Amino acid sequence: MEIDNDVAMQDATEEPLDPTLDEDASTVAPGASKTPEGSNASGIADHRSSKPLQLDSGNIGQLDQWIEHLSQCQVLSEEDVGRLCKMAVDVLQFEENVQPVNVPVTICGDVHGQFHDLMELFKIGGPCPDTNYLFMGDYVDRGYYSVETVSYLVAMKVRYPKRITILRGNHESRQITQVYGFYDECLRKYGSANVWKMFTDLFDYFPITALVDNKVFCLHGGLSPMIETVDQVRELNRIQEVPHEGPMCDLLWSDPDDRGGWGISPRGAGFTFGQDISEQFNHTNDLSLIARAHQLVMEGYAWSHQQSVVTIFSAPNYCYRCGNQAAIMEFDENHNRQFLQYDPSMRPGEPTVSRKTPDYFL
Amino acid sequence: MSESLRRALLAKMNKSDSLIQSKRSTNDSTNPISLNNTCPGNLPSWQEFFTQNEQFFINNGSYRFNTYFSLPEPELLLKASKSQSIPIFIFHHGAGSSALSFAPLAQSLQEKLENLCGTFAFDARGHGLTETPDTATFRLGDFVSDFCQILDLFYSRFLRNRFSDRTFSLVLVGHSLGGSICSSAFHEINDQLRQRIVGVAMLDIVEEAAKKALNTVDTFLTKTPNLFPDYTAAIDWHVQKGLSRLKTSAQISIPSLFTPTASGKVVRRTNLQIFRPFWDSWFTGLSSKFVALPTSKLLVLAGDDNLDRELIIGQMQGKFQLVVFQDSGHFIEEDCPSKTAITLIDFWRRNDTKNLVIKTNWTKNGSPISLN
Repeated sequence: MEIDNDVAMQDATEEPLDPTLDEDASTVAPGASKTPEGSNASGIADHRSSKPLQLDSGNIGQLDQWIEHLSQCQVLSEEDVGRLCKMAVDVLQFEENVQPVNVPVTICGDVHGQFHDLMELFKIGGPCPDTNYLFMGDYVDRGYYSVETVSYLVAMKVRYPKRITILRGNHESRQITQVYGFYDECLRKYGSANVWKMFTDLFDYFPITALVDNKVFCLHGGLSPMIETVDQVRELNRIQEVPHEGPMCDLLWSDPDDRGGWGISPRGAGFTFGQDISEQFNHTNDLSLIARAHQLVMEGYAWSHQQSVVTIFSAPNYCYRCGNQAAIMEFDENHNRQFLQYDPSMRPGEPTVSRKTPDYFL
Repeated sequence: MSESLRRALLAKMNKSDSLIQSKRSTNDSTNPISLNNTCPGNLPSWQEFFTQNEQFFINNGSYRFNTYFSLPEPELLLKASKSQSIPIFIFHHGAGSSALSFAPLAQSLQEKLENLCGTFAFDARGHGLTETPDTATFRLGDFVSDFCQILDLFYSRFLRNRFSDRTFSLVLVGHSLGGSICSSAFHEINDQLRQRIVGVAMLDIVEEAAKKALNTVDTFLTKTPNLFPDYTAAIDWHVQKGLSRLKTSAQISIPSLFTPTASGKVVRRTNLQIFRPFWDSWFTGLSSKFVALPTSKLLVLAGDDNLDRELIIGQMQGKFQLVVFQDSGHFIEEDCPSKTAITLIDFWRRNDTKNLVIKTNWTKNGSPISLN
């Protein structure tokens, strides 16, 4: 199959119409290859350590202070975000493409910058690190507090690396975040794109899948026609921008479908996969379940493919207007699953959703 | 776009408003030079963008529709692989626009597909060079009915012969109100042609935003001049207002909206006010209708992703493809013809299952691998 998105990128620069913020902002095909080490890199990964970050009383104190600050929904300074991201690189670069996770663990889906709902999630699921958490991506975009949300989760990850796992979603990408809000939010809150650059450079290091007790395969999107075994995921080079096609793209973009076999995804990226595919994958890899996020489900979670696949979505009333419940899934030592559903947290002073009226005839 | 940028742009627009007015008043008094520009002789003509300009008659000949199209030459079709389906892009413009709004996009598609595609656009009732009786109404259903009949005629008069031994695929592309028309027409098009449709693309239309815009349309209409000293002034005004940001596009699309007056000025052909009684019907239920279309769907938006609830849920459930051109104004096909062409070609290729096999390296064959 041919998809000419590379051409699109090239072409996008041919027609400068307006002072755009970034030339790549103009086209939003699902993703575009851009090396993290490009000339625009933030520098957070310039001095990667050869061994994982060691926590000591000094950096623990610093991290606790940041977490306390962030938990009030206050952003860190740009300098502190830089420090945090550098530390995070030295944690995340040592994680695997298929990050092993122990039970018990509470598995969560999309958050999308809904910071107060994330705090509600920790109230419902129990505070971290007392409860282990696995987040399946999409921390940023659409909600109003992407910066606070992703800063908080990354700080928690660095502070409690064994207690919380944060996977990459399709929104943890340079290209997508320039359209759906995170880029603009960084500009608004910091006056420059530096923080956006740091975080999007950091996203390249996020693991793309996790395996809970060797039985539950967790990822943001779904399966790929180019990935038949979990071992094949281990062979991927994940340290890059989310590509616009290929196995890594599929893992972050695909959706389960009622139709059998592989299908073209209506999203324009990834594929749809049927029950036959899910069952075969679980059988081949000796799995009991595929847990994924990526799709809004009105009850916060939804089974598909006769319980071969579960979708978990953790942003209640998505975008402050969809009216959906959110859910998280507790998975215990005996592999029992329990879903906890919750509604949007009540909070005063929430900015109302204001949308500009078009200034043209129709 | 940042708020400050938006404000700066608005300020620029207001300034351009006053510029136009001062220009007009100068012209009204004594300036004869601009009269030389009233003839669009130095402007591009439709022939640079389409190969044919045909009139289609419907409703017993009382409605004459002005159409432009290009089809692959028979010799070219012979050379192309038989297994390949040829895409034909069917365009419908929005209210107050015209077929030639799609001229640059059609040209770009032809270039990128090396003329192995079709492009078809027409002036809707009440627009451009199409002639409609004074009694014509402008309900959504009227536009939809025209669209289906015109498509039937296009097929019987031009496609059937050209594609007697070849397959073709249709992609419906509607801008603004045209998007609503394409989405509604999908179910009304005759079965034979509907089976050829591989997807519906809407350009910059969201039900909620459109309804809001209709509430404030008076402000827009009072600020929109219907009379300009000449074509150049009309083009410049639309470019400055961001209603067609690319000058090369405005030069073909804007003149088609105007007709010369006896005094040498140019006046807007379409009186936007006559649509007023019919606005209510244009967008009601559009978002859920679009999301539920049993075909592939693409939504291209300009500026922000200002989806309404139905569209957000649809998008977050993976029901359609969303593309946002941040550097485009409302007239996406005019502002970003090249990028729009690439997006449409990608959309067609991806969804035209006749042209596509999903590659897999899965070795164990648990069940047959199907496409759909």
